[in-house]
Amino acid sequence: MPRSAVRRAGSPFTGLRPVFMKELSDHLSSVRMLVLTLFVIVFGALPVGFALNDLRNVVVSDPYLFLRIFTVTPERVGLSFIEALNFIIPLMAIGLGFDSINSEFNRRTLSRVLSQPLYRDALLLGKFLGGLATLAVALVALWLIVLGAGLLLLGLPPRGVEVARGIGFLVVAIAYGGVWLAVAMLFSVIFRSTATSALCSLGLWLFFLILWPMIASVITVGFTPSQFTSIDQMVAVAELGQALERLSPNILFREAVVGLLNPETRSLGFMLPMQMRGAIPGAPLPLDQSLILIWPPLTGLIAGMIVLFTVAYIVFQREEVRA
Amino acid sequence: MRCLTAVLAVLFATLVAGTGFAQGDTPKGLFLTTDYPSQTVRAGEVTTIRLKLTNAGLPPEPVALALKDVPAGWKIDILGGGQPVAAAMPGVNQDVGLQLRVEVPKDAKPGSSKVLISAKGPIAQSVELPLTLTVGTETPAKLSIKSRLPSLRGTPRSAFEYTITVGNDSGKDLTVALSAQGPANFQTTFTEGFGSNEISSIPIEAGQTKDIKVKVTPPRDVKAGDYPVLVKVASEGATAELRVTLQVSGQGRLALSTRDGRLSGEAEVGKSSTYTLVLANDGTAPIEEVEMSGTVPTNWKVEFNPKTIPSLAPNEKKDVAVVVTPADKAIAGDYVASFRANGRGESASADFRITVTTSTLWGIVGVGIIAVALLVLLGAVARFGRR
Repeated sequence: MPRSAVRRAGSPFTGLRPVFMKELSDHLSSVRMLVLTLFVIVFGALPVGFALNDLRNVVVSDPYLFLRIFTVTPERVGLSFIEALNFIIPLMAIGLGFDSINSEFNRRTLSRVLSQPLYRDALLLGKFLGGLATLAVALVALWLIVLGAGLLLLGLPPRGVEVARGIGFLVVAIAYGGVWLAVAMLFSVIFRSTATSALCSLGLWLFFLILWPMIASVITVGFTPSQFTSIDQMVAVAELGQALERLSPNILFREAVVGLLNPETRSLGFMLPMQMRGAIPGAPLPLDQSLILIWPPLTGLIAGMIVLFTVAYIVFQREEVRA
Repeated sequence: MRCLTAVLAVLFATLVAGTGFAQGDTPKGLFLTTDYPSQTVRAGEVTTIRLKLTNAGLPPEPVALALKDVPAGWKIDILGGGQPVAAAMPGVNQDVGLQLRVEVPKDAKPGSSKVLISAKGPIAQSVELPLTLTVGTETPAKLSIKSRLPSLRGTPRSAFEYTITVGNDSGKDLTVALSAQGPANFQTTFTEGFGSNEISSIPIEAGQTKDIKVKVTPPRDVKAGDYPVLVKVASEGATAELRVTLQVSGQGRLALSTRDGRLSGEAEVGKSSTYTLVLANDGTAPIEEVEMSGTVPTNWKVEFNPKTIPSLAPNEKKDVAVVVTPADKAIAGDYVASFRANGRGESASADFRITVTTSTLWGIVGVGIIAVALLVLLGAVARFGRR
C-alpha cells in the first residue's frame, strides 16, 4: 500500500502539550478574549442581577432557591440567565474558533509550525482543546461570579445538591460550547478566508437559533393528518416534532439545563395527562433521576462535538498545506 | 217636688245599674291578696309570705299598710323590694308585690294564730287580709329525681346524654349540688336543660322542678358491657339519687400504617416493589372480613397479600404485603398511591408516597453513543493520522 509507506511512526499526539499551552496562553492574553469576556459579563450580569433582586423579595421557602438564580426570568428583563447563555456560549465559541486554522494559512505560519516535530493531529487537537479550555475557564469564572453574587445578596449558602446540579450545568455548558467550537473550527479548516468561515459559523448559529424551530414545526404540520384517529397518532406526531427540534444543539442545551436546574422537571418529552395522574405536582426529582433525564441531550452534545471534530480532522488531514 | 223626686229616683237607678254592670265585668277597688292565706311556719325560722296589693280601676294613691294582732314575741315586717315599707302605691290596674317576713321565736308554742294586714287609702278605701299562721313541726327538705330514659345504648365513641328532672319538694328554695359516680375514667358533665354551660349546682325554688342534662363520656377503649352511673343531687339535709345505665356495645376501629410509620417508598419503572403495611384493630370489637384495596396512578398494578382478612380481633395487628408495579411508561418522580382497608362498617386508609425511579439502561446506551463517536475519531486518526 502506498499510504502505509508514507505513514510515519510514533504517537500522533506528540507535541500536543506545547500546542495546547501556546493556544491557551494566546487566547487568554488576546484582546478578543477580553472583549468576549466583557460581553459575557455584561450580558450575564443583567438577568442575574434582576433575578437576585426578584428572589430577595421571595418569602416562600424554596429548597432550590440558589438554582432559581439561573432559571428565574426577571420581570423587567424577560430573559433568564440560561436563556442568555444559550446564545452567549455559541458566540464565544465561534469567536474563539472561527479563524484557528485559516489565519495560520493566511499568515503563512502553518508550514512553519508543521516543520516542528509534531503531527497535524496534535496541532488540530491542541487548538481545539486550547479553545475548549479557554471556554471552560470563562464559564467557570462566570459561574463562580454568579454563585458569589448569590451568596452575597441572598445571604445563604447553597446546599450540596444545588452545587452538584450547578456543576452538572457547567459540564453541559462546556459540551455545548464544544459543539460550536467544533463547528467554527470545521469552517476554519474548510474555508481559507476568515471572513467566510466566521459568516458561515454565525449563519449556522442564527439558523439553529431562529429558523430551525420554525422549519421543524412546518415539517411536523406537514406530517399531521387532518384528523387524529387515535392518541398514539397524536403522540407520534408530537414526538416527531420534538425529535426534529432536538437536531439543534440549542434545544439540546436548553433541555439539559432545564432538567438539571429545575428539579421539578419530570420529563423533557411529550407527556400524556394520563401519565400525570396521581403524580405529586412540584415534587423535586432526586439528583440521579435528573441526571438520567438529561443524559440523552448531554450525550447528544458530547457525541456531536466529537463527530464534528472528527469531520474537521479528516478535512484538515487531507488538505494541502504548502501554499 | 214630685218631679224632683222622680228625677232623683231615675238618677239613683241609673247609678246603681251602672255600678252593678261594672262590678260584674271586672271587680273595681283595692285588693290585698296572697296565694295561701293559711300557712305553716316553723319555730325559730324565718318564713317569707308573698302578698299582692292590686289596684283595679282606681286612681293611684298611697296606701298605708299596717299589721294587727301580731302574737307576742313574733317579729313580722312588711317588705317591699327587700326593704321594710309602710305604704305602697299601685298604679291603675297594676299590682305591687309585697313580702311578709315572719320571724317566729324558738319557744313559740304549736297552735294557730291570726294576723291581720290592713291597707288603707286616703279616701276611705280600706282592705284587710286575715292570715292564719300555724306553728307546726318542721317538714324536712325533700328532693326528687327522675329520668325518662334511664338506660341508653351506644358505642364507645358516642355521647350518652340523659335528661333528668330534679324537683324541690320542700317548702324552701334550695341550691342543689350535682354529682355523679361512674366507673373509672368515665367523664360526666352537667348542663342546664338547653344551655351549654357546665354546671355543678343549680338553685331550685320551692315546689319547682328543673331539667338537667347529664352527659357521660366513656373512655374510648371501654369494653362492651353495661355500666351504671349514679347521679346524686344534694342540698342541706336532703339527697336523692338515680341510677342510669350505659349499654356500651363494642366497636372495631381499623388503622392502617406501616411498622415504622414511614409512608413512602421507592419503585422502579416496570418492576414490582413490595411494601409491608400493618393493619391494626384499635377498637373493642372484632372486625370481620376486612378487604384491602388501593388506588394507584393509571396503568399501575397493585396487589395485596392477603387480599382479605377473615377476622381481626381487638388489639390485633396483621402485616399486609402490598406489591406495586409502576406502569412501563411511568415518568420518574413522586406519586401518591392510597391504600384502603374496608371492614364491616369500618374503614381505614393510608396515602403512600412512591418515588418512581427509571432504569439506568438508557444511560449506558448514551455512553455507548459517545464511545462510538470516539471510535470513529480513532478510526479517522488511524486512517488519516500522523501526517
